Amino acid sequence: MNNYYLKRTGRAVLTLWVTVTVTFGLIRAIPGGPLEMLRARLVRQGVDPSRIDAIIQSRQEESQPIYVEYYEYMSSLLSGNLGESFYFREPVSNIITDALPWTVFVMVTATIILFAIAIVWGAIIAYKEGSTFDTVSSGLSILMSSIPFYVLGILFVVVFSYRFGVFPARYRTSPGVTASLSIPFVGNVLYHAALPIASIVITQVGLQTLAMRGNSIQVLGEDFVRVARLRGLPDRRIAVRYVGRNAILPMYTGFLTLIGFNLGGSVILEEIFTYTGIGYYMFEALINRDYPLMMGIFLVITTALVLSVYIADLTYGLVDPRVKSGDSSEAY
Amino acid sequence: MAIDQTTEEQVYSTDDPIVTIRDSAVTYDEGKSYVLDHVSLDLERGEILGIVGESGSGKSMLASSLLDAIPSPGRLTGEITYRPDGEEPINVLELDKDERRSLRWEDISMVFQGAMNSFNPTMDLRTHFEETLQAHDADIEAGIERAEELLEDLYLEPNRVLDSYPHELSGGMQQRALIALSLVLEPDVLVMDEPTAALDLLMQRSILMLLSNLQEKYNLTMVFITHDLPLVAALADRMAIMYAFRLVEIGETRDIVENAAHPYTRALLNSTPNLDAPLSEMQPIEGQSPAPINMPSGCAYHPRCPLATEECRTTVPDYHNVDTEHGSACYHWEESYDEVPLVYENSLDGTTGGENQ
Repeated sequence: MNNYYLKRTGRAVLTLWVTVTVTFGLIRAIPGGPLEMLRARLVRQGVDPSRIDAIIQSRQEESQPIYVEYYEYMSSLLSGNLGESFYFREPVSNIITDALPWTVFVMVTATIILFAIAIVWGAIIAYKEGSTFDTVSSGLSILMSSIPFYVLGILFVVVFSYRFGVFPARYRTSPGVTASLSIPFVGNVLYHAALPIASIVITQVGLQTLAMRGNSIQVLGEDFVRVARLRGLPDRRIAVRYVGRNAILPMYTGFLTLIGFNLGGSVILEEIFTYTGIGYYMFEALINRDYPLMMGIFLVITTALVLSVYIADLTYGLVDPRVKSGDSSEAY
Repeated sequence: MAIDQTTEEQVYSTDDPIVTIRDSAVTYDEGKSYVLDHVSLDLERGEILGIVGESGSGKSMLASSLLDAIPSPGRLTGEITYRPDGEEPINVLELDKDERRSLRWEDISMVFQGAMNSFNPTMDLRTHFEETLQAHDADIEAGIERAEELLEDLYLEPNRVLDSYPHELSGGMQQRALIALSLVLEPDVLVMDEPTAALDLLMQRSILMLLSNLQEKYNLTMVFITHDLPLVAALADRMAIMYAFRLVEIGETRDIVENAAHPYTRALLNSTPNLDAPLSEMQPIEGQSPAPINMPSGCAYHPRCPLATEECRTTVPDYHNVDTEHGSACYHWEESYDEVPLVYENSLDGTTGGENQ
């Protein structure tokens, strides 16, 4: 049992280290660098060439062999120092601390909402398997999951923000709203997060609904459901405790990992809605070849994914009594 | 559900039936074919009735019909009457939802084949017992005490079993726990559909012994459905043989085993593996049993029967009286004694439970 936890923890740490190392290498393999980007921008602005050279010179750090850079990066990473953003001229950790909670808020909320809808909807479809409702719902599910979320996102911005102006097109809150636990603030936050959340929920709920439908139909055919009916248990209890519980089990791991995946998917989503979470900064960092920021955010996204799988592994035994100490409980 | 008058004299009715089945039929295609073909049967209070037939002969349908629990979308017709001791008879097929809910498990209970899948894998056994008691508005504390006693009767440790999840128990333990669960509301009738199918031989025998003890202790009426003729012969008072969705022979266990009067029953006995008999004497029955959609006319067994005549091919035979309590649905039952000789006569002697009660 203890050995199991130790092994999972070790594997999580190893995954993180490998990812950090690989991204470190990959990012440095991208042609061009922050200074080239800066030079190009200054040239475009028509700055005097000699001045450009001077600016570049002042920013130039002494070039070091890559293994020294790697060593320094890793050691500062371990001490919590993610370096300083070239572009924003601010410590990367500050940017992430500011941005991460918003992204987590949007993605976790969206994932919870979409699973809640999928579980109820999928179970109802399963109970009415073969009916018109089933056909329409299943078709709709497939249709919705085949829309890419960024297409829907752009559509939302165009229609709801620019055409009708009912939802804001950018930012986490309206300008001038200060953070507090007051109703206007929370309302404002939800107002701004509504479109991003909606585009994730609508484009992802279909697949999960179909998964829930399949699971429920399978469980409905199990002997123990038939026996439960014969035992005279109330239909509600059978639906919740027998069909629901057993159909949700296989989705639990999917739920946690989807949160992790969605944090990574925030890059494009937040750019569309100009929602300044980590995805938005990731996009900015990419455009400006801002290595430290890129690395920092990449690290956060990877950690989130590894962590969600790790949590799924460790807690699966709590939701499924059959897995107490389990080699069979690995999510991946 | 009109009663078919002509069936009345065909039934080997008993003196004090607890359940009477008349013309019970199950169809899945609006009557084009039947997976239970108008069966009539009496169940005597306090007896153990063994129903034997091969796979796909309609045994489970007969069992499920006793609780009006045919898997949907099957349609059950006929008349099934439950006669509780000293109370008004109950027409099982005309109950409303609540009445049916209280009939099932409280009066007539059932153990399914495959106990392994009869428990919710995410719930411990105590909860299974408690929710069953709760659903029937029974006293939970008294019910759990009864459950503990039942489990003890079945040689299980009550507390250990009640606090276990299904996967923590072996197949035999699950089967016994399921029997305890089916008896927790003190039903009068227990229907068992292949309760020992997935178990090893030793466990089969010991469960049979336990069932026999339970039947005496709780004064149960049991219907035991199996394809294993020698197994049920050791337990049952009376036996009914099913072939192609119909009952072909019924009688006391000793009569069926030693004096079988239907060519199918005799062939079935001859095909039963026996340790004492050499392998060469085992006689499989040629051909295979018909599918419901492709039922032969007349006696369904005629394509495989050595005694078949024109009469057999055209008209479904009624029961012929072999003895007062022993009927065979065969025109040529008298010839069957000579034409289908039993290979190892009396081989099941001493295992009959009928007279021991």
